[in-house]
Amino acid sequence: MTDELELLKKDWQKKEFNVPKLSYEEIHKMIWKKSSSIVRWILIISILEFTVPQLLYLLPSMQEGMEIYENIGVAKYLRIFSIFTYIVAFYFIFQFYKRFKEISVLDNSKNLMKKIIKTRKTVKHYVIFSLSMIMVTIIIMIIGVYLNDNIISAFPELKDSLENISAEKLKITVMLSIGVFGIILTLAMGGIYFLLYGLLLRKLKNNYSELKHLAV
Amino acid sequence: MNKELEHKFVTELQDNQNIVHKVCTLYTNDRDSHNDLFQEITIQLWKAYPKFRGDAKFSTWMYRVALNTAITLYRKNKRRIDTSDYESIIFKIKADEYDETEELQLKLMYKAVKQLNDVDKALVFLYLEDKNYTEISETLGITEVNARVKMNRIKTKLRTILNP
Repeated sequence: MTDELELLKKDWQKKEFNVPKLSYEEIHKMIWKKSSSIVRWILIISILEFTVPQLLYLLPSMQEGMEIYENIGVAKYLRIFSIFTYIVAFYFIFQFYKRFKEISVLDNSKNLMKKIIKTRKTVKHYVIFSLSMIMVTIIIMIIGVYLNDNIISAFPELKDSLENISAEKLKITVMLSIGVFGIILTLAMGGIYFLLYGLLLRKLKNNYSELKHLAV
Repeated sequence: MNKELEHKFVTELQDNQNIVHKVCTLYTNDRDSHNDLFQEITIQLWKAYPKFRGDAKFSTWMYRVALNTAITLYRKNKRRIDTSDYESIIFKIKADEYDETEELQLKLMYKAVKQLNDVDKALVFLYLEDKNYTEISETLGITEVNARVKMNRIKTKLRTILNP
């Protein structure tokens, strides 16, 4: 085998690869193209992770939703709660930025992979945090509904059609729908997120574990 | 100043493009992916170029960026398609320089190397480029001992591929 590999080496070094040589202009054009590296993708997805939930609050339907919070009497708690989530989100953005800056293509392969995985982990923790916060919001709302003695007034526009339903029944229905909606939302968001990253980083993770096992 | 840097970079890359073509040949299976990877490596080289201080040779500096792009940053999945066309173009060996057995042997070797995983290919690539184990270990971030052990395992792997 060594002989064959030596033979290959000799051939490799003298071989002019039979591919068309690129001209100065062709290379010059290339340097201004957008990169499609996974680091760029991680940056794009992460910015979306950080901003999309905030943008949702600007939608009119979400603002109507805020009225319902008001009506069931949890708006105050949710406001305090959202200040807390903002502080934590800024912490994550700062961490993400710091780690992202550390990524350098000039690093050795193992370090480069490690840093990319670490950066991605920051986003992963943020997503887990966000999803838990959605769950907490849902729980606060369920408790709000439970403690609310005048649940019908929370839905002024439905007042007429709700008159014939007992308050107890309505409460349970509302609590159940909020709960089910919350679980589906969390699972869907989590599912999309982990699938996306799983696919994006599969190759990198394989190569990293290959290099890491070498070190053992 | 920027124009000057640009010109210097493109000229150097143009002179040394063979290295990038070799990496692309190892890691891709068709002409389109080859060009795509070439472009991504070029972008990464250009982005890192301001940090290139010129205390090393441009070509030496290129190895790390090119390999890192191929095994870490490059996102596209390798499509499993019929590779024979592409390979016969790339690995065309000038017939008059080799006898037939050697030519066949080389063809099989290239085919076998292409079947290795990404990390193994990186080691073989550096080995074929006549890098010593210190350089190999520094580029990949493993110890020199591990690089040697790994290289021996790759030789065994290649042997199994060639003589199943």
